[in-house]
Amino acid sequence: MIFRNTAAAVRLAILFMLPVSKLWAQDSNFSFQTNKGSTLDVFSQLNPVVINRIHSWELVLTGADESPVTGAEISVTGGMPDHDHGLPTLPVVTRETSPGRYLLEGVRFHMPGRWQLTLTITSPQGDEIGLLDFEL
Amino acid sequence: MKRFFIPGLLVIGLGAGLGWQLLPAPLPQAWTPQEAALIQSLSLSQLPALSPDPSNAVADIKNAAELGQLLYFDSRMSGNGEVACATCHQPERYFTDGLPLATGTALGSRHTPSLVGLSHSPWFYWDGRKDSQWAQALAPIEAGHEHNLDRLQVVRLIAKDRDYSERYAALFGALPPLPATLQTASPLGNAEATANWQRLSLAQQGSINQAFANVGKSIAAYQRKLLPGPSRFDKYADQVNSESRISGNGVLSREEIAGLKLFIGDGQCISCHNGPLFTNFEFHNTGVLAIAGQLPPMGRYDGIRLAKEDEFNCLSYYSDAQPEECIELLFAKGDNELVGAQKTPSLRNITETAPYMHGGQIADLTAVMEHYNDAPTSMLSHNEAKPLGLRPVQLSQLVAFMQTLTAPLNVDPRWLLAPGQ
Repeated sequence: MIFRNTAAAVRLAILFMLPVSKLWAQDSNFSFQTNKGSTLDVFSQLNPVVINRIHSWELVLTGADESPVTGAEISVTGGMPDHDHGLPTLPVVTRETSPGRYLLEGVRFHMPGRWQLTLTITSPQGDEIGLLDFEL
Repeated sequence: MKRFFIPGLLVIGLGAGLGWQLLPAPLPQAWTPQEAALIQSLSLSQLPALSPDPSNAVADIKNAAELGQLLYFDSRMSGNGEVACATCHQPERYFTDGLPLATGTALGSRHTPSLVGLSHSPWFYWDGRKDSQWAQALAPIEAGHEHNLDRLQVVRLIAKDRDYSERYAALFGALPPLPATLQTASPLGNAEATANWQRLSLAQQGSINQAFANVGKSIAAYQRKLLPGPSRFDKYADQVNSESRISGNGVLSREEIAGLKLFIGDGQCISCHNGPLFTNFEFHNTGVLAIAGQLPPMGRYDGIRLAKEDEFNCLSYYSDAQPEECIELLFAKGDNELVGAQKTPSLRNITETAPYMHGGQIADLTAVMEHYNDAPTSMLSHNEAKPLGLRPVQLSQLVAFMQTLTAPLNVDPRWLLAPGQ
């Protein structure tokens, strides 16, 4: 139990140490680093992202050595820290469309304000976490 | 002199206290760029065209809407011959009924929601237990306290009415042959109807279900015509930018503008009542008291489970959608966070659709504002809203702002009356 709590604390500490993006760039897409130095580029099918519309994102995962990370499993959780609730949908990475490019379907945001998403990545390179923090 | 000092202080203190509660704060000269953008985002001019409904092949076909309109106003669509869709969703009341709880053939358990603009929603019912407007339209017909009919009786009605059967055949092809002896049959409903349903072959059940689904699709095609019209608020919003004066051109009063400022700011209303229809069509627990005589409802927690199990959902045989088009259903969330959560209603024409909430528990808009100002503890799970600490004068301003959202519908008048009237 103590081990589990410590692991959770370490995980939380990692999250807070991650570089955090402040604002959703209204006319471009996101690029951010995971805690292992990989790069995640987010290309939204809906650009700019607006509230109340379900849509997909393409996630492009590039390792620290700048090669595409293939065969990764990516899960997405998140919500609004100021409102004490999660995402309105359950977005799922449904397939890897080409090496290192993943399709995330079922994305929707239903309130203006601050959103925080955690992307948990498991790949042959190990486990990584990326944190996306933005305003809509 | 001294003896007047303390009473004088008391009077001044009392006056200041009352003033704080009742006097409005001055408005700034202009909106900030962020406020202006939020106001513009609420304008009806920002409402996108109605998305196609891939699960309903006749959703935007005029002949289907005309058949749907006939069915919508037809009280033969009920067990006692007295209840039509229009009994509770009355055009002259913005498609509501003015009652706390809907009353069809008997007293129901939920407040009648407005149908205006509802075709923009991905989910139907307060708990979102239906994922299309056509699937929703079928359920009240078979509900014992609403229309109290069953699906075989509905298909029989279409078959025996020559106008209906011709219109139906032109849209969907000929009606299926119906069982010669049975008058009533449904997998739902009373013992006789369910027993009869079991006596039918799978093919007969399927063809009756298909014809029943087509009835729902026609009613939904009609309901897609019911759209809100621009109000005084929209006129104001369309001229707002961060350069313009906050007072506008006198379209809204200062009290209404103060209410708008609270709506997008300290009142936090826009968190859920956002976009041109003033709703995100999502599900939230806001600590509304349970309906008298009922247990607190599980809300969307049950609703999404029922939608996934629904025999007429987007992924069902009776849907016209390809499975990959059922995005809402495929990626819907169903977790504990949704316990007690009900769908956010539109605020357009809200002054005309009292009482309020899923059980009509709150009689008027002043009491609604007081509810959100207090944000009481939820009977089930947690209240997402937090106490606002607004003053009485501010609650009045919010109510005043609600008056600016009422307008005649953006609907050809022919759709607002029973055909032939």
